[in-house]
Formats: sequence, structure tokens, C-alpha cells
Amino acid sequence: MNYTAALTLDEALAALAAGARPVAGGSDIVVGARQGKAQLPDSIVGIHRVAGLDTLTVGGDGLVLGALVNHATIETNEAIVRGWTALADGSALVGSPSTRNVGTIGGNVMNSSPAMDTGAPLIVLEAICELRSKSGSRTVPIDELWTGPGRSVATPDELLVSITVPALPAGSGSAYIRLEYRRAMEIAVVGAAAMVTLNGDGDVADCRIALTAVAPTIVRARRAEAALAGKAISEETLAAVAAAASEEATPISDLRGSDRYRRHTVGVMARRAVEGAARRARGEHLSVPLNRADGIGAPLAGGSA
Amino acid sequence: MATVIEKRHIRADGPEKVTGSGRYTADLTLTGMLHAKFLYAGVGHARITRLDVSKARALPGVFSVITHEDVPDVQYGPFVQDRRLFCTDTVRFEADIVAAVAAVSAEVADRAIELIEVDYEPLPIVGDLEAALADGAPLVHAEWESYGAADELVRDRNDASYSSIVKGDAAAGLEAADIVVKERYYADSSHAAPIEPRAILAQWEGDKVTIWTTTQVPFDTRSGVATTLELPENKVRIIVPHLGGGFGGKCGFHFEAHIAVLARKTGRPVRLVFSRREEFIAPDRRREGMLIDIETGVMDDGSIVARRARVLIDNGAYTADSGFFSQLASMHIAGPYKIPNVDVSGRLVYTNHQPSGSVRAPTAPQACWAIEQHTDSLAKAVGMDPVEFRRKNVVQTGDVGPSGQTYDTIGLIDCVEQATALASYGQKLPADEAIGVAVGCWPSFPAAAGAYVKLNADGSGTIVTGAQECGTGAVMTLRQLAAEELGMEQEDFTLLYQDTDAGPYDMGATGSQTLFNNGRAVVDAAQQLAAQLRAMAADQMEAAPTDIVLADGHASVKGSPEKRVSIADLAAASHGGELLIARGSGIPSAAPVLEGSTCVGDVGVAAFTAPQFSCHAVHVKLDRDTGVTRVLGVYAAHDSGTIINMQGAEGQVEGGVMMGIGQALTEGTVYDDDASQRNAMMLEYKLQTVADAPPIKIAWIQNPAADGGPRGAKGLAEAPNVPTAAAIANALSQLTGRTIDRLPMTAERVWETMHA
Amino acid sequence: MSALEITLQVNGVPYPVAVDPSRSLVSVLRKELGLTGTKEGCDDCECGACMVLIDGQPVNSCSYLAAQVDGREVVTIEGLAGDGGLHPLQQNILEEGGVQCGFCTPGMLISATALLAANPTPSEEEIRIGLGGNLCRCTGYQKIVRAVKRTADELAKA
Repeated sequence: MNYTAALTLDEALAALAAGARPVAGGSDIVVGARQGKAQLPDSIVGIHRVAGLDTLTVGGDGLVLGALVNHATIETNEAIVRGWTALADGSALVGSPSTRNVGTIGGNVMNSSPAMDTGAPLIVLEAICELRSKSGSRTVPIDELWTGPGRSVATPDELLVSITVPALPAGSGSAYIRLEYRRAMEIAVVGAAAMVTLNGDGDVADCRIALTAVAPTIVRARRAEAALAGKAISEETLAAVAAAASEEATPISDLRGSDRYRRHTVGVMARRAVEGAARRARGEHLSVPLNRADGIGAPLAGGSA
Repeated sequence: MATVIEKRHIRADGPEKVTGSGRYTADLTLTGMLHAKFLYAGVGHARITRLDVSKARALPGVFSVITHEDVPDVQYGPFVQDRRLFCTDTVRFEADIVAAVAAVSAEVADRAIELIEVDYEPLPIVGDLEAALADGAPLVHAEWESYGAADELVRDRNDASYSSIVKGDAAAGLEAADIVVKERYYADSSHAAPIEPRAILAQWEGDKVTIWTTTQVPFDTRSGVATTLELPENKVRIIVPHLGGGFGGKCGFHFEAHIAVLARKTGRPVRLVFSRREEFIAPDRRREGMLIDIETGVMDDGSIVARRARVLIDNGAYTADSGFFSQLASMHIAGPYKIPNVDVSGRLVYTNHQPSGSVRAPTAPQACWAIEQHTDSLAKAVGMDPVEFRRKNVVQTGDVGPSGQTYDTIGLIDCVEQATALASYGQKLPADEAIGVAVGCWPSFPAAAGAYVKLNADGSGTIVTGAQECGTGAVMTLRQLAAEELGMEQEDFTLLYQDTDAGPYDMGATGSQTLFNNGRAVVDAAQQLAAQLRAMAADQMEAAPTDIVLADGHASVKGSPEKRVSIADLAAASHGGELLIARGSGIPSAAPVLEGSTCVGDVGVAAFTAPQFSCHAVHVKLDRDTGVTRVLGVYAAHDSGTIINMQGAEGQVEGGVMMGIGQALTEGTVYDDDASQRNAMMLEYKLQTVADAPPIKIAWIQNPAADGGPRGAKGLAEAPNVPTAAAIANALSQLTGRTIDRLPMTAERVWETMHA
Repeated sequence: MSALEITLQVNGVPYPVAVDPSRSLVSVLRKELGLTGTKEGCDDCECGACMVLIDGQPVNSCSYLAAQVDGREVVTIEGLAGDGGLHPLQQNILEEGGVQCGFCTPGMLISATALLAANPTPSEEEIRIGLGGNLCRCTGYQKIVRAVKRTADELAKA
């Protein structure tokens, strides 16, 4: 295996053009090799030191995340927690403190897993990815990026350099929640993200919902959105959201859950994500990640220590 | 009055464990060392029609490739000799070993494994327990009748061990009962999953082999190597560096002989280090799956009159130490209850799954999970509160248990009272929360054990013991026992242990037996040393030996504390004459007598020596929309006799409870139809994390056991693992209105139960 | 396969080594550097026994390429305490009884160190999340959490 460490974006793009695979933290690629899923590539370029890829800026365009921004930064960044909360919810659930430190948003997104925790948040936040190669640059809306498990529209010589997330309109809130069997070291069985904008009457002016781990890629749930748009948040509309999300899901059966169970629970997650997003839209504080805010995953009141 | 030592000492092996300087087996290297890898069959049941290792042998860097042709044709196994080191012509589970390689690096060994060519002709998979017992079922061992086996075993084709316990007339009792409740439960198999994967390093010097290995049972391992390689035991030395956990998973003899053969063939030290996947699939130590059918008759007043039950146990492909599981499971299904009429039986069923073996309280957590849900069903049937029902029916001091054992002083009822009190049982709870209660029992295992205690010229002490430390601290606590006998401090002693050439025989870190048996041996040796010291001191101070008191590092005359001599001075003096060396073993506790019952296939566990009892009350919350269960608190009461090391004892309960929560909710092996494990990785076989751990509160019922170990102690390491899953199940049953008949009680299964 | 010349700065000591670029950090620490305190329990970032600090942050060294650590500061369990003696976390985990088999202990202590560096006064929930990547099969975690809490309390008073 050949390894080079790039210090500039040009060096990284040149290495990619020459056939190297980029590695930032390496969690997915090295773990994958150790599990025998895929051999390590013949050529790797370390991009962890590439100048300028680890910046996080908040401005008129909204949030711009360099590809090397890690989950630990995202989950604790005040602007993200306040303005793009679903993304913080997602990053806060990734693996363990170590994986959140090593794992980058760019690596997570380009791994193109239908179970990734930042994918549904980025979809409902309408993120735009910038892909760059030696020959140029292009932008791809995040919901057009993935084409299947582990696959995306990016060509091998393209590097995801940044993700831009527009600011949400006033009266908006977002949330991501997943079904998990443990409170740490988990992977989503199913998950859902929601972005909700409320109008002056408290009704839903706009909403977006995306579902995790129920299809070959993370998917937008447009029928669930339609069940909510223009309506008040009520038991009836929430039930309709859950039902629509379950109907739209096309899950498979695997070790983590059967298709029947996934189909049901993704509806539950969609409903909870909408509730969380709406409560945040109303200005209510729900801690990050939403999985630990209340309900079954909340911290215990008393301590044992 | 029980002796309780509250003083907390730092464990002797602690500093090296927290600084990273302590060596575990995989940390060891020797000059010229080669690396070993195994070729596993990768198919569940097949005939080998061709095996060609020539390409692997030709690969540069490969020093040896061995198969069944390179080892003596010896069949081994503690109960049934149904196993060989390598497959000959038949593969019986996916990790049956076909060949082994020693090469210059692990990477080269891996490539050599890939170059071995094997053709398999598939045979029908035996996976379902009931189908395996049906007439005409394919046999896992076609030649079962020719195998050597323990005389007590009752075997028949795919049934490797049938056992029954019969008392009174169960049929008549069920007929006479006011209500009969009949239920069926399925438990999946699971894993010990110690965090350290196993490792072995072997080196020959002349005709003697030294093997550093991750075993819980060094002497058993020595015997396995000696048997399979046809060596005398004194030509095999087993040394265990620090052991990174076992939980039964590292009991038994496994792969040491394979590595010894590779080392002998190559004339080099050879080391094997397992991957996590191998640790999951290869050892003959899986917690056994079970199918449990049970029916119990009760009277309207809540008294139990009869029980009939049948347990089928998934033995897997070979009989490891599982030969006693049928009887043990029968005992647990009979339960710690007063039942006049009992007819329970167990069968140990061969399948093409990984072999089962003793994992922390084998058979008990699964059987308890079934029987304690069943007990709640009985209580419900007669309209009694489940705790009230247990108060009425559990065995108490002087009662006769289901197998005819009369219980000496036991504290089960106290366990029930204290666990429920700790949990504030009966409190008003939110609609999605409940407290489940379950009782459990577990024997102590009397066995031979030996130790030497000696005092050096400066008065420091050395304990040389055959005992094995797997983390519990039991061996560490031997220092405390010696120090108490000799009036010294435990810090005055060092330990030499885990080396079969140094210490006398010990059964190992198995059966919760270390303090129970080796503690007795150390006390025996230390008492002899104390007698020697008293005699010397009496001589010096012109007093009667019986008037000499050993305390604070001195021997003094009773009533005249100013007349004293230091133990160090006595030790120095001994080096001019008779040395201060003592050996101890002591006589193991006798098994209780059984009266009024018949046991078929009796391998000795129908009588529970120094029986331990427990009650866990577990506070559970259920997410009804998803079936996800969260444990909010565990309240554990244990009668394990006298507690000798309180901090160590708490650690056993806390660890056992967490393992129990894992077994209850997230830990279960998933098999494909081809009998291969689908979740042999930590991400998919989910151990509980610290973020899941609830508060655990403990009450101790300290009745010194007359048939106990030192100070009246009983065993402890396994018992805390028994009733946790059962108590969680009972809480979930309250919340769902139905029993949860599959273990583990995954979120999906709980949800399906609610929607069945 | 060309070996890569890199320098690992481990526990304050520079180690110039030539390694195959596909090698994980843990394998180089254990084999070339002889620092076996860092353990391997699972091969895939699921147990935490291999945890080390890189530039002060916790990393599963089983799944991190040694090549990417060139020139960076690594702390392993062997470097946790200064000269002689024990780090307060080491002392407290012993006194509280949070060590049994000891195999998870190095990784657990590294994660605890990172946690306290980032958050000197963690709540119990924050400790549980902070140690969430370290599995322990022996202790049931109770005494480990208590040791970390006690260390935080002691350091806050000091």
C-alpha cells in the first residue's frame, strides 16, 4: 500500500486524480478492512492535515462545514446546537467520544451509509455539498448525493470539501432521533429527522422529514411531510405523520430488525422527530441529542455513584 | 456472628494493571517466535472429501502446516470423548479446525490459510432441538455409541446426556391441582465475551513444553495437552499471565495442544492470538440455548402441588463440560420451592452449533428466566401478589427441596424481604414502569485444592497456590486469609500462582470455587505455620503454645502482652533449623444427602452443597411504541454465606447483574439456517455499556454455612448472574400483560409480544 | 509495500520507526515500541481497550493508521502518570475496586483522562457518556464511575 500525507487541497486532489483514496480519521476504511469487508485500497492519501478543510463558519450563507470538521465539534458548537439542532443531535449519537473525535462530517457523508446519523439531518436542513477535483468544482444537493449503500454521485477523483447548510427561517426547529438498543456505541436501527417551521398561529408552515436505515439511501418522506404541512401539531396529525412515514419506508430485514418492525418504528421516530422539532421551534429547550433529552433514553434522575 | 472485614485493601495485582505494565498472554513474545492461524471449516455439517495443504506449505515464510495426520489420534472430552484436535473426515460446526499454520508473521499465516484447499460434501444441518430428537433425525455423531463416556451419563443418539429428577407423583399431583399452568419458553444461546480474546504461546525445551495461555483452568488445560499429545503431565507446564476475564468462556481445554504441536514441529516458539470473531465462534464455551416446557399445579390457596417439566439443551457439536447441564437445568427448573411432586428432566442435544460449555452459572439464568416468569403466572392464576406467592412457597431453613435435600440455615426468604424492601416494592409507579422480582439459587462446588505458605527469613510471606485469578480478586483475597491466621498484614504476602509447576492442584477459576476451596487450603497451611510459630515462641518465652497469640506481626503470651517476639525474628531463627513452610489442602465439604427422590443420569449436582440463594428486584421502564426496555435500578439480595472481601463481593454482584441485563435484553447469538453465527462481532452482539448501567443496590444475608468454605463462606461469582433476566422479564410481563417467551427479550420481541 | 519513515512521539519520547502504511497505531505501539499496555479486544472500535490520546483527544488505536500519527503527540497508559507514583485516576480506581481482570482498565483510564481534561466537573451522566466507548465485562461499571467522580471531586478541591 502506498501512503502520502497531503498538506494542501491541491496535493490531495492530485493524489485523488492519481487513484488514491482519501482518509481523514480512517474509522470506516480501516475498520472495514479489519472486518474483512474490503481490503485497504492500494493507495491512500491522508487529508487530516489539509489546511482549510477543518473550518466551521457561520455567516450570511448559513453554516459552512469544512469536510474535516469532526462530530465532537458539531455536537458542542453553540451555533449548530441553536440553529441546526438536528445535525448536532445526529453527530452526538455517533459511536463513542473517540469516534466523534476521529470521525469527520466529510467522511460520514461520503461513506454513504443508509444508517448514518448525520444524513437525515442534512437532508431536512437542505445541505449543499461541494465536490472538488483537479478539473473543477461542483455543488450537489445532499439528497441527490447518494445512489445506494456505499455509493454516491461523486467520482473517484472528487473530494467533498465542504457542506453548506442554509439558515432556517424564524420560527423553525429541527431534530433527529433514532431507535437504538443501547445508550452508547450504537448504530441506528431506524431514525428520522424533521425540520418544522411554525407560523404565527403555531401551525406548520413548512416541514421536511427524512428517514434513516429504511431504504438503500437515506430518504425524504414527502407523504409524511404532506400529512403535516399547513396543519396544527396534534395527536391526529402526528399519527398521520407516523403512518405515512411507515408506508413510505422500504426497509429490509437484518440483524438489527425485521422489515415489519423497522416499518413500524420508523413511523414512531418520525413522529418523535416532528414533536422535538416543533417544540424547539416554539423555543423550548430540549437537550442534544434528542435521544437523551427525555423518554426511554433520558439520564436517570438519581445517580449510583 | 459472621466475621466481616470491612477494611479495603488495594488488590495485589492492581498497580500493574492500572499502569499497563502487567503482561497478558498476547503481550508476550519470545525470540524466534512464529505466528499461528487456524483454518476453520466454515460450514456447519459436511464430509471432507479432499484436503490439500501443499500450496500453503510451499508459501515462503510458512514453517509448518498441520492437520489431523500430524497429531496422535486421540479422542477427548471431560464427559464424552467425542472430539479430536482436528477434523478427520467430518465437520460438525463452522469453527471445527481443519488445519493449523505457523508462519513468520500473522499476515503470511493468513495467506497460507487461504491457500489450503478443502472440498466439502454437505450433510444435513442439525439445528432444531426437537427435530434432532425425532426418530430418523440425522446424527451429529454417527459413531456415538463407540465413544468413551462417563459411566453416569445416559446417552442416546443426538441426546448426549439425559437426566431426570422424580419425587412423589407429579401426574397425580397435577390431576389433583385446582389450577394447572402450562408454558413454553425458548432461550437463545449467548456468549461469555471476555474483553481479552484468547492467546497462547508455546515453547519446547527438550521434551518439555511450556505454554503461556489465557485459561481459567490451568490444571485442566495441562491434562488436556497431556492426554491429546500423549505426554506425562510433568512434561507440560501451563503458565497463565494476567487473564483478561473469563466468565467461563476460558474454562476447559481448547487450543493449547495445537500450538504445542506447531512449536514442536518448527522448533520455534509459536503464538496464537484470536480475533474477536474467533473468540465468538471457536471456543467450546457458548452459553447453551434451551427449549423449556413446564407445567405446574397449584391449589387455590397458592400452594404448589406438582411440577412436570422438560428441558432441551443445545449441546452444540461436541460435549465440553456440558455433561452435567441436563441435571443442573432440571434442578433450576424444579426451582427453590417446596413442591411435593416433581417430575423434571433434561436432555443435552447435539446440534451443528458451536459447542456449549460452562458460562457463568451455566443453565441457570435461562432456566430461572423461564421458571420465574412461570411463578408469576402461577401467582396471577391464583390471584396472589407474586412476592406474596414466593413468601408462601420458597424453601426455608429445614425445608426439603425438590431433589430431596434438607436445607440447613438458608436465607432465601430474607433475600426476598430485603430485595423487595430495597426496591420499595409496591410503590406507585408510572404506567410504563414496573418492578419485577425473581429468586435464584446456585451451588457451591467442593473440590480438592492445594496451597503452600512459607515465611522468608525477613518475616515476609509467600503464598504458592494452584488457584487461578480471572479478575474476581479471589486469589488476591487469599493473602487476607493467610494474614488473619498468622496475625500479619495481607501486604506482608506475595503470591505465586497460575503456574502448574509451582502450585498444587486447583480446579481453577471455575464454579465460583477459588475462595471456597483454595481459601480452605490456604487457611489449612497458614494454621500449620501458626502452630509452628506458636511452638517456637512458646519455647523462647517459656509459655505454653496454646497461650501464644499471633497478632500485629508478633507472637505474644496471652495476658502478658509485654512478653512478645516478632514474627520476623522467629522467621529468621527458623532459617537456622526447621523452615517455616506449610502445605494445605483440607477436606472438601461433603455433599448433602438426598432423600425421597430418584435421579437418573446423576452427575452429582442434584445435591447443592452450601447452596447460595438470591432475590433480585428490578425496576424497569418500557417504551411501548418500540419495545425498548431500560433498567432503572437493580436491588439484589444475596445469601452467599460469610462475605470475606466485601469490595470484591460487591464487584461480583455488580458485574453479574450487568451481564444479566445484557442476557436479558441485547445478548443473543443469531444463527443462519446453515448453522453459522450471524452476529459474531461486538457491534451486533451487544454488551451493556456504562451508559446503560443502572444503580445497583445490594443486601447481604450473611449466614455462615456449616458446609461452607473458610469462615462459612459460599461461592459467589456466578450466583449474581442468575435472577436478573428473570426479574426483568417479570417487570415486562406486568407491563405487557403477557410472558416474554424468547430470550433475549429484544426490543423487537417485546414489541411483537405486545402485538401478538 | 514501501515502508514509511515516521516519528511517533509517545509519552514524550520520540520514536523514529519505519512502518508499512497499512499498519494500525496499536500494532506499532505494541510490536515496534513494546508498549503493550494498550490492549486489543475487538478489532473494530467497539470495545475501547486500545484507547490512546492523540494530541490530547481519545482515539481507538486499532482503527487509526500509524502513518497518520507522524509527528503527533501520543499518550498511552504507560505515560499517564508522571515519574513514579500513580495518576489520581489510577489510585482511585484501585481504591474503589474498579479493577478486576484489568484488560479494559488502560483504555478506560485514557477515556477518563480525556473526559476530565475536557470537562473537569462532569455529572454522572456525562461520565457515563464519556466512558461510553469502553466496554467492561467484569465490574458492572459502578466502581469505575465512582472512581472517576471521586477524582473529579478531588481535583476540583485541589
